[in-house]
Amino acid sequence: MQLNGVDIDDTFAEAFNMRGTRILITAQNLRWAYNAANAMTGFATSVIGCGVEAGIERELSEDETPDGRPGVSVLMFAMGSKVLMQQLETRMGQCILTCPTAAAFAGIESEDMISLGKHLRFFGDGYQVSKQIPDATGKLKRYWRIPVMDGEFLTEETTGMVRAIGGGNFLVLGASQAQVLTACEAAIDAMRKLPNVIMPFPGGVVRSGSKVGSKYPKMFASTNDAFCPTLKGVVKSELDPRVESVMEIVVNGLTFEDIAVSMKAGIEAACSLGKENGILRISAGNYGGKLGQHHFKLRPILSGEVTA
Amino acid sequence: MSHIVLTAKPISRTVDCRALLPLALQGKTETEIGAIKLAANLSVADAFEVSVDAATEATKLTFKNTTSSHQYIGFGMTAGQLLVEGDAGDFLGAQLQNGILICKGNAGARAGDRMRRGMLLIEGNAGDYCGSDMMAGTLGVLGSTGVYLGYGMKRGTLLLAQSPAPQATWIDCGLHKLPFLKILYKSFKLLDSRFAQISSQRVQRWMGDMGGLGKAEILVIQP
Repeated sequence: MQLNGVDIDDTFAEAFNMRGTRILITAQNLRWAYNAANAMTGFATSVIGCGVEAGIERELSEDETPDGRPGVSVLMFAMGSKVLMQQLETRMGQCILTCPTAAAFAGIESEDMISLGKHLRFFGDGYQVSKQIPDATGKLKRYWRIPVMDGEFLTEETTGMVRAIGGGNFLVLGASQAQVLTACEAAIDAMRKLPNVIMPFPGGVVRSGSKVGSKYPKMFASTNDAFCPTLKGVVKSELDPRVESVMEIVVNGLTFEDIAVSMKAGIEAACSLGKENGILRISAGNYGGKLGQHHFKLRPILSGEVTA
Repeated sequence: MSHIVLTAKPISRTVDCRALLPLALQGKTETEIGAIKLAANLSVADAFEVSVDAATEATKLTFKNTTSSHQYIGFGMTAGQLLVEGDAGDFLGAQLQNGILICKGNAGARAGDRMRRGMLLIEGNAGDYCGSDMMAGTLGVLGSTGVYLGYGMKRGTLLLAQSPAPQATWIDCGLHKLPFLKILYKSFKLLDSRFAQISSQRVQRWMGDMGGLGKAEILVIQP
């Protein structure tokens, strides 16, 4: 299969069940909403080392937020509910509570509700104030007003936690580092327009795709040598002589369909640069299909057949 | 669900309305409601015209033509919406547990006494001891308030459109713009009330009652 002259491998991305949540962060203006959200989603690229994978989903207009201020929505994913709760609380305390004018609200409804400001309220040292206010549907929501030096930090008590999927991915293989990066930027721009997904790595792009295990006993992941261009001929490489650079885009989403649709948009955008701009192949990262519960097959996804 | 309307008949005695709550009257017919005893020799039918509109989705009770003789309206209410299209006597919304109580006229003494949760909104004036011993919740008054405002109040918010008479046991915390008010006002927009017109988030904040727990607040809306 080819797309604009770019070969599409007959392979699949292997993804995992995760737990996810969404938080709405508002502030006096977008600058400070981004400051809070960027801090909260910082060092949150991979559960391998960060515990949680997080990213900014999209900007929110003033009529989309509970307090009528501009904001951004953030998605966070972890391998289990306990880690997700712990990371959310830690990041709320260090990144949102501390950020001038920022407030945080629930961004998703679920039967499983986890703490947003429920425990953070104790920062108020007894001066925190609880408020139950009905939303547009008449459902009572509990907020905490915590006195802080710039006024009051406002947060909702809980947010929803849902089942989600992490680790959808595709690889862009090309003739030069610059050309691959340009294709990846185009892919990310296209994927960021879609809801319910985040690309948690820096700028959405990963250069260090990993394999399971290592020659060093203490390492449980190491460089994906089969896709390292400088090791062609030394290891059992997946790359032909023309490929000088490979980059990966990892996508986490709330549902299988969300990830599949975003992968399709990303691959199509990357391939739109075409073979003449050095984009040679699209592949995907997997572990032989033995580790993850979800397989995102590239060719069916690009054909529009989205199946689990 | 149904919307029950109780239109007050002219009456020369006080009427204890504590049995007349939205949830307690739900599912009852006009005859059943009319038969409820308010005192030894006073039934609902003696004091009110009863009308039941079963078509509405909300749990709602409306009092019409009430006066200061109608006491304990919304006493211990736990759910739904209660609208008073008239004045109310003493103990309006006392021991309110939950739900929204709106009074379009004036209220007597001890409005919101020992209120625990929910929202009590008085569009007119409130009498003495408004919010006395209040434990939590939100009590709003657009008109004036009497003496001993928030006496013994523990937690909760008194939201006032007019500055109250200063109380020695309340501490002035200064002027502030409070972000939660935007969310509170948004909830007001859904109500049939003049409270829906408030927009200023800038308030003067008082904390008290320092003679009690001291964790309650009076917020006076600034223009």
